[in-house]
Amino acid sequence: MNIVPQLVLNSVIAGAIYMMIALGFNLIYGTVKFFDLGYGVLTAVGGYAVFFFYKKLELGLPVSIVLGILIAGLIGYLVNKFVYTKLRERKASNMVLLVASLGVFTALQALIAMLFSSQFQTLSTNAGSSTTFEIYGAVITLVQLVILISGLVITGLLALTMNKTMFGKAIKAVSDDEEVSKIVGINTQKIISGVFFIGAMIAGLAGILVGFDTGIEPTMGMSLLLKGVIASIIGGIGNVYGGVLGAFLLGFVENFGIWKISGEWKDAIAFTLLILFLLFRPQGILKK
Amino acid sequence: MEYFIHLAILVSIYAILGLSLNLVVGYTGLLSISQAAFYGIGAYTTAILLTRFDLNFFVSILAGIVITGVCSLLIGFVLSRFKEDYYALGSFGFNIIVYSIFLNWQSLTQGPLGIPGITRPTIFGFSLSENIAFLGLAVVGGILIFFFCEFIAKSSFGRVLKAIREDEQAIEIFGYKTLYYKLAIFVLSAMIASVAGSFFASYITFIDPSTFTLNESIFILSIIILGGLANLKGSVLGALFLILLPEALRFVGFPTDIAAQMRQLVYGVLLVVLMLYRPQGLLGEYKL
Repeated sequence: MNIVPQLVLNSVIAGAIYMMIALGFNLIYGTVKFFDLGYGVLTAVGGYAVFFFYKKLELGLPVSIVLGILIAGLIGYLVNKFVYTKLRERKASNMVLLVASLGVFTALQALIAMLFSSQFQTLSTNAGSSTTFEIYGAVITLVQLVILISGLVITGLLALTMNKTMFGKAIKAVSDDEEVSKIVGINTQKIISGVFFIGAMIAGLAGILVGFDTGIEPTMGMSLLLKGVIASIIGGIGNVYGGVLGAFLLGFVENFGIWKISGEWKDAIAFTLLILFLLFRPQGILKK
Repeated sequence: MEYFIHLAILVSIYAILGLSLNLVVGYTGLLSISQAAFYGIGAYTTAILLTRFDLNFFVSILAGIVITGVCSLLIGFVLSRFKEDYYALGSFGFNIIVYSIFLNWQSLTQGPLGIPGITRPTIFGFSLSENIAFLGLAVVGGILIFFFCEFIAKSSFGRVLKAIREDEQAIEIFGYKTLYYKLAIFVLSAMIASVAGSFFASYITFIDPSTFTLNESIFILSIIILGGLANLKGSVLGALFLILLPEALRFVGFPTDIAAQMRQLVYGVLLVVLMLYRPQGLLGEYKL
């Protein structure tokens, strides 16, 4: 059996997930210029919020997903408001913000584990019997198809927001120069809050989709975050389109890398790719 | 009583880890989040040499120091190309790669099953199988390492490190090759962490990869940030506080699995609060 079509498909699906995380991460990095590692845990927040509404309270699926995305967005917004904004006002260095975001990450992850136990759980109700499609001998599940479509829709929506709306233009202005944006009358606080809210919603959605595809556990955020960060950096940090390229490159390298060896090596392969890029092309594929 | 001896041994081991990391983060200003990797390399060296080759514990410590030294030299060489938050991210990556190796190089490390049956050290035919005897060894080791670190910090070498932290360019103009200084302290710090790993492996008599994750590195980082950067007494204080506090929570009546998450929650929140209100920690002289 030819395994290549399946590997290609797996790479594209992984790429779509990484792309969503990288988009949100890049959006935040581009605006506030620090590595927000706390961003990763928002995927778990989204996943567990849906788990709570859909499986515990037995609300409808669409309502649960919308609530999950909104809650992830809200948490991202609150963390920015009560932690990062205060630090930025004090002109804290990037390293202080990075350590604080690491604290946010650890604390929220532990909180989720305390509320929902640290066991691996799945969101889908019909695990194993879901609808599948076949493309050139490769199998794709319905959830994975939704992942691909969501990836496209999110990218499209984000591109539209960034280029066609006042809000998007304001984001670009703040990324270019926060001080000058303030002077020309842009409410930078509000824009940054909005960026955190949107970025967090994207992370929440990615977490929910992963939850339906494989499952959720409190520690899921770290590996997703790292993949998103790697995709952003190898694509060109702060460059939204670079993140998209980086995500798919990472997806392909990872999935073809484990063709002959155990799948457990994925993370090591991803980081080796990152370190190679940092050494030989630190500005990423597309320079900002 | 046995329980207090157990805690005292853990505090000694984490104090050693804290001291070693403080040399890099506190004195030199390099935000390294990979100490658990070197801690793990030391632990695995001791475990493998004691269980398979039946070597003396103290020989295994030396072997661990040498192996960790070589690994950290290679890693440090790559990391020295990066600055500030990229440095943190790169060190992150190496921690994940080393963890993957512990997990996947099964013929050497037995993967997730771990290595059981590690023996306790013997000195002149006297076995330290009693915990109280082992505590003696750990405390003596810890004190020796404390004075060694203090010696480094107060030497002319240590002053150059502080100068690198404050203004790397300025000290370079005076003709110091900062690259060699940064590499030297990174390797030295990794070697000390490896000793802590050897102690840990021999004390617990069983190790598996789950001890040497990124979370452990974050934990060690919070020890030194809480205690104070560039203050060696602070690192000991931080270890004491962060090991004992979760134990105290257990006495208040939380079940064990919640208590484990509680430890993470506590140091996560602590990192955020410290960054917000006291970025130099309890006794520190340097802010990130």
